[in-house]
Amino acid sequence: MKVITFSEALGETILEEMERDHTIFTYGEDIGKQGGIFGAYKSLLGKFPDRIFDTPISEEVIYGSALGAALVGMRPIVEFHFADFLFTGIQSITLQIEKIRYMTGGQGKLHLILRGPDGVSNSAAAQHSESIETIFMHVPGIKIIIPSTPYDIKGLLKTALRSNDPVICFEHKSLYAQKGEVPEEEYLIPFGKADIKRPGQDITVVTMSRMVHESLKAAQELEKEGINLEVIDLRTLVPWDKETVIKSVQKTNRLIIAHETWRRAGWGAEIASTIQEEAFDFLDAPIIRIGARNVPMPFSPVLQNYVTPDKHNVVTAAKQLMEGI
Amino acid sequence: MYEIRMPKFGLTMEKGYIERWFKKEGEFVNKGDSLLEVSSDKITNEVISPVSGILLEILGQEGDEYPVGQIIAVIGDKNEEFLLERRQGKEKSEGSLTKQPQSQDIESTKKMTGPINKSDIKASPLAKKMAKEYGITLSQIPGSGPGGRITREDILSFLNKQKTEDFKIIKLSGLRKTIIERLSQSFHQAITLTNSTEVDFTQLKNQTKDRRVSITSGIIFLLCKTLLTLKQFNSHFEKGVLKEYNIINIGLATDTERGLVVPVIKNAHKLGLNEIQESIKNLSDRAKANKLTESELTHSTFTITNLGKMRTDFFTPVLNPPEVAILGVGRIIKKPCVIDEDKIAIRDMAYLSLSYDHRVIDGADAARFLDLIVQYIEKPKLK
Repeated sequence: MKVITFSEALGETILEEMERDHTIFTYGEDIGKQGGIFGAYKSLLGKFPDRIFDTPISEEVIYGSALGAALVGMRPIVEFHFADFLFTGIQSITLQIEKIRYMTGGQGKLHLILRGPDGVSNSAAAQHSESIETIFMHVPGIKIIIPSTPYDIKGLLKTALRSNDPVICFEHKSLYAQKGEVPEEEYLIPFGKADIKRPGQDITVVTMSRMVHESLKAAQELEKEGINLEVIDLRTLVPWDKETVIKSVQKTNRLIIAHETWRRAGWGAEIASTIQEEAFDFLDAPIIRIGARNVPMPFSPVLQNYVTPDKHNVVTAAKQLMEGI
Repeated sequence: MYEIRMPKFGLTMEKGYIERWFKKEGEFVNKGDSLLEVSSDKITNEVISPVSGILLEILGQEGDEYPVGQIIAVIGDKNEEFLLERRQGKEKSEGSLTKQPQSQDIESTKKMTGPINKSDIKASPLAKKMAKEYGITLSQIPGSGPGGRITREDILSFLNKQKTEDFKIIKLSGLRKTIIERLSQSFHQAITLTNSTEVDFTQLKNQTKDRRVSITSGIIFLLCKTLLTLKQFNSHFEKGVLKEYNIINIGLATDTERGLVVPVIKNAHKLGLNEIQESIKNLSDRAKANKLTESELTHSTFTITNLGKMRTDFFTPVLNPPEVAILGVGRIIKKPCVIDEDKIAIRDMAYLSLSYDHRVIDGADAARFLDLIVQYIEKPKLK
C-alpha cells in the first residue's frame, strides 16, 4: 500500500484508464494548463495534451459536447469546476444526459462522467460553496458517486469508467489534500456498496464526503462518554446501499443522517423516509437529520461556520438520542 | 390521623424487617388487629393496631428494613380519606396497577381519573413491537425517553424485573451473616477431615434415664472426661498459634427457628451431670427465646452437635473456628448387634462423627479420641 493524496489518486486513476482505453479524454475549465482550481489535475500536467485540455467558459457547451461525444462512442470526463456551475448548464444534464438512454430504449450508451469539486471552503460564499447532489438524486437518469478517501475515489472512478451510464462525481474541496492508503494493484469498488468506516453499536450515522470525517471525529469524542457510533459512508448516492443501512439500524435502533447540503429536502430525508418505511419496527428513537441551515452560504467566516454542519452537530444529535435531552 | 412506627422489641433493636402486611391500604382496621409482622435480628413479632380507622397509607414495604421509630403506615378516620385518594390518584397517573378501592368515594375518584387512554402512551416503534412480542401492556411501563416515551431499554428493564419476580430475595439476618462468615472461614482455612465410628448407647441411655437427665447431658459429661485425657482436641488454632486449654467450654450447636446458634457451657469439666443438664436447659430455652447474651455465645473450646433425635446417622460437622475439632452425634436407633460371646442382641446404636483440623491433629489421634469416648459411652461412669 502506498499513501497518496486524494488528488494524486484521482490523477493516477485518469492516467491509468486513459492508457487502458483510448476513447477516454477529459476537459473543462482551467485543468489543462492550471491543473484544476483545487489542484485535482496537478499530477496530469503535461500528460496527454491532446486528451486533457481546457474549454471556454460555457457550461452549456461543455456538457452538451460531452453528450454528443459519448453518443458517438467516446468516454468524456468533464470537469465542472464548481458544483454550483452545474446550474448554468443544467438543461443539458437533466433534460438530455439523464434521459437519452431511457428515451432510446437503451439503444444509446452514454458513458460520460461529470466530475468536480463541491462543498464549503473558506469564504467562497453563496455561488462557490454548494453541495447539490440531491438535485441529481431527485431527477432520474444519472449515477452519483461521492468518495471521501483516496482509496474510494480510485475504486469508484474506475468502475464509472467501465460503465455505460452517465455518472456524476462530487469531490469535496477539503478532501483533495487528504492522504490515504491506496493499493498498488488495480481494484474496483462496485456502486451501491456502502463502507462502514467505523463499526459501533449505539447509533448508526449515515453520511458521505466531508461529513464522513466530521462524523468520525464526533465518534472519537463520544466514545469517551460511552456512546458508540457506527459510521456508514454510502460512497454512492444513486444507487445507495439500503441493505447495509437497514442492517445497521436493526443493530443500533437509532439513526442519524449527516450531510453538508441543506437539511431541508436534502438526501437525508430520502434515507430517513425509506428507513421508517422498511425498518419502522427497529427504530427506538426518531431519526435525526443533520444538514446546512436553509440559507445561501454566507461570506462571513463566522456565519459560514454557523450555517455549515460539522462534528459538533453529530455530537449533539447523538447525545440527544442517547440521553433524551 | 395516627402514625404507625417501626417498633422497638428490645433494648438492642435498632432496625426491623417487615415480613408481611396483614392489611391492605384502604382497608378498615380495628384497634387490636394485627397490622403486620416485623422481625429484628433476634425475634419476630406482630404489630397490633393501637387505633381503629382506615389504613390510609403503607410506607414500609414488605421485605425491607427500617430504623426503629420510622413511620411505616398511617391510619386515619373517614374524613382523612382524601389522603388515600390523593395517593391512589397519583399512582394511576404514574401508570402503576390500579388498586381495588373499598369505598364509594374512592370509586368516584377512579371514574374521574379514568383508565389510561391508549393513544396517550408514547412508545418507540421498536418498543411497541417488543411489547407485542412479549405480550406486555405498554401502560404498565414507565417511559424514560424524551417526553416519557417508552424505549427498548424500558421494555428490557421491565422484562428483567418480571424475571426477578419469579423469586424473592431473602434478606440475610445478622445471625445468618455471622454463621456464613464463621463457616466460610472454617471451610477455607482448616483442612477438615471426619472420622466416624458406631457406638452402643444402650447403657448410657438407661443410666441417664435413671438419673432423669438427657442423653446429651451424659455425652457432654463423658466428652469432658475424654478431653481431659486428650487435651489436644480442646484447643484453638489461630494465626499459626496452637493454644491448648486447661478449661473446657463446650459449645452446643442448637437448632432454633432463626437458625443455628451455639451457646456455651462454661467450665463444663467442673460440672456434675445434673449441673450440665440444668445448664443445657437454661441455654437452649434462652436460645429459642432469643435471649442469649454475647458472653453465653462465645469462648467455646470444643463443640458438639447432636442430631440424635433427628434423621441423620453420620455426617461431616464443620469446625467452629478457631476450635480444632467438633463431635457430631447421629441418630440413636435400635439395631441387632453382635455382643459378648457371639450373641445377637437389640441395642441402641448410633454413629459418632468427629471432624478435626488435620493441620494440627492426625488421623490416628482422631481414632484414639473415638476409641476413648466410645469406651466411656459404652461403659459409662457418670460420677
